[in-house]
Amino acid sequence: MNSILLISWKEIKQRVFKRSYTLVLVLGPIFILTCFYLLVKAADEGKKNVHVLIADPGDILRGVISSKEDPNLRYSFVSDYLEIDEFSKGKPYQEFDALLEVNEKVLNNKKVFIFYRDYLSNRIQNSIRFTFERRIEEVLIDEFSDLTVDDFRQLKQPLNLDFRSITNPTNSNDGEAGWVGYFFGSIIILFTLFYGMSILRGVAREKANRVVEVMVSIVSPTQLMMGKIIGVGAAALLQLVVSLVLIVCGLYLFQEFLFSDFFLNQSLSGVQVSEGATELLQNEFQRVRNNDVIHLLYDRINLALMLPFFFLFFLVAYIFYGAFFSLIGAAMGSEGDGQVLILPLVLLLLFSLFAGYFMVLNPSSQFSSICQYIPFTAPMAVMVKLSMGYALGEGYLLWISFLILLLSAFVILAIAGKVFQSSLLSFGHRLSLKSLFRWRTRV
Amino acid sequence: MIEISHVSKSFRRKSALNNVSLNIPKGKITGLLGPNGAGKTTLIRLMNLMYFPDDGYLKFNGQLLKKEHLKNIGYLPEERGLYPDLSVQEQLTFFARLRGLSNAEATSSANYWIEKLEMKAWRNKEIESLSKGMAQKVQFAVAIVHDPEFLILDEPLTGFDPMNIDLIKRLLFEFKDAGKTILLSTHNMQRVQDMCSHVVLLNKGEVVSASSIGDLFKDYVSNHFVVRYKGTGIAFANALWTDFELVNQLELSDGITEARLLKRGEKSVDDLIKNLQGNVAIEAVHMEQPNLEDIFIGLIEKLENE
Repeated sequence: MNSILLISWKEIKQRVFKRSYTLVLVLGPIFILTCFYLLVKAADEGKKNVHVLIADPGDILRGVISSKEDPNLRYSFVSDYLEIDEFSKGKPYQEFDALLEVNEKVLNNKKVFIFYRDYLSNRIQNSIRFTFERRIEEVLIDEFSDLTVDDFRQLKQPLNLDFRSITNPTNSNDGEAGWVGYFFGSIIILFTLFYGMSILRGVAREKANRVVEVMVSIVSPTQLMMGKIIGVGAAALLQLVVSLVLIVCGLYLFQEFLFSDFFLNQSLSGVQVSEGATELLQNEFQRVRNNDVIHLLYDRINLALMLPFFFLFFLVAYIFYGAFFSLIGAAMGSEGDGQVLILPLVLLLLFSLFAGYFMVLNPSSQFSSICQYIPFTAPMAVMVKLSMGYALGEGYLLWISFLILLLSAFVILAIAGKVFQSSLLSFGHRLSLKSLFRWRTRV
Repeated sequence: MIEISHVSKSFRRKSALNNVSLNIPKGKITGLLGPNGAGKTTLIRLMNLMYFPDDGYLKFNGQLLKKEHLKNIGYLPEERGLYPDLSVQEQLTFFARLRGLSNAEATSSANYWIEKLEMKAWRNKEIESLSKGMAQKVQFAVAIVHDPEFLILDEPLTGFDPMNIDLIKRLLFEFKDAGKTILLSTHNMQRVQDMCSHVVLLNKGEVVSASSIGDLFKDYVSNHFVVRYKGTGIAFANALWTDFELVNQLELSDGITEARLLKRGEKSVDDLIKNLQGNVAIEAVHMEQPNLEDIFIGLIEKLENE
């Protein structure tokens, strides 16, 4: 055990104290956060401080649009029609960024145009749309009914006819949440691929420079293999944890300082509603606001549930695939050898990504059910399933997947240990499937 | 020290060692000789538990060779291998710790050998930045850093300059004097003759000879004489009659010639002197000692002719 730890520690030091590792450790999360920021910003491009002129010749809105001030949005009223050309070129109108034209028959035809000078950001568009719709609602209620605003909004709620499978009655085909699982599964697959290749290259390099002969004169090949898998895995895990912590902190800072205006409570300010209707309006606002990325990341990820299982499956999947990579590395005759066996393994990992994609789109398919019991696809399948939610009483399926993966990892480790022992001191041959089987049976 | 008893090892039905039995005596330097493919590397790997015998057993200090004994064995393989991105200090400490030394012991031993092998200036250099000779020294240090009882050295002096060869040879004799056992595998016969007290000769996976150097030389008496004489070559050749065959001769200085002769039948030095007296003036005569190379080639040829 001590030898395994010593080898692991050497592997960790060889990787972690390298400048490239530190760079990836810091730049990786920065890159992801930058991508996320750009993604959000791309969806929010356009003018952000807007002064809107509302032309309301019929005085439909009665000079009111919202009860509170929005720092980014100002409204002014004119009680006459305004030609576009006049608005566009007229000197008194140059201070306005947009013209909202409320025709006199708006309560019947429900048609309103807003003409802008420069493109307005999505958030501003949504905010204007939301505020205006609420105001029109209030006018409609006042004109045509005796209902209160709250009662009207309760009645107005659309009927939600939700199609759900009888095998999964508590949850629907929640594609959005499925993508979160797909994201976690992809991280497992990509890290496994990246660090699996690192094991393979490490073993092949040690074979090529013959240090392996000194090593196996001191420790058993199985100890050498385990030390390598654990060491490289620890470096991978450290990178993953640090990256996740940095990303989570970054997302928190984004939420607090950069995207604060995207969050619900602030955005509802300025809308004339009673407390009772706030929840309904929140749902309504959530529906209309056009930033799924923020919604997905901040509202839909149940980190407390996802993270423990993510790390559990990451570790076992890494050992499972890592054993494959190490046995191929040990069986290679030279550093450039082994492509013939690396390709199928990489294809299996890519297939896993495809399987996850398919599962998000078709979560109830038989294929999806099978994938969670196949060790190669289980890490991805379970992450997707978990994010969508297991049906009540079916949580044990997750543990079955885990046990199958764990047992498979042990079996592959045992086989890899044998191949490692038999093939590590063979040099200069061409690697083939036949030789792998031969080494598996040789003691 | 090491007892190898009826050991056989095959790879895919190809026999690498066949019923090998021998003893490597404690506190001696034993030379392991054999042509390529004789089974030397397989035997060395068996002693390091890198392979396991199909038949027979190996004993270390009277006990069946086990993993625990590896802490008392140092191994320098023929194909050198170190971690290229570790420094000299890190390399030695790592291998010492793997061999069971504590962190403090490993550091102290690494420091000792770095100084002893004159590598202080390279202590923090990575292996990939060292010269071949310096890397060889580190490799040698890796084999001895844990102060093993038994050292297996495969071509230990290859790649060293004469100064370092001398340094390593002195160290090996120091080890021997300290009671350590050394197995020296090499193709350099002269080196074995100079350094080893015992020799094991392997051929085609079998032990051809395993004895002390003295016994080996005693068994192989030379048929050659060397004569230094003053006189004419014709007179010398005529004096040999049919008892001795002139192999070659070389004029050393004016009138003095050294000749190498092969005796025929059971002739002795006395017979040679009797033949030559009166024909040439004999300056010196002696029986030529066989060298290890001659014995090695002779033994292998004899086996192949059988």
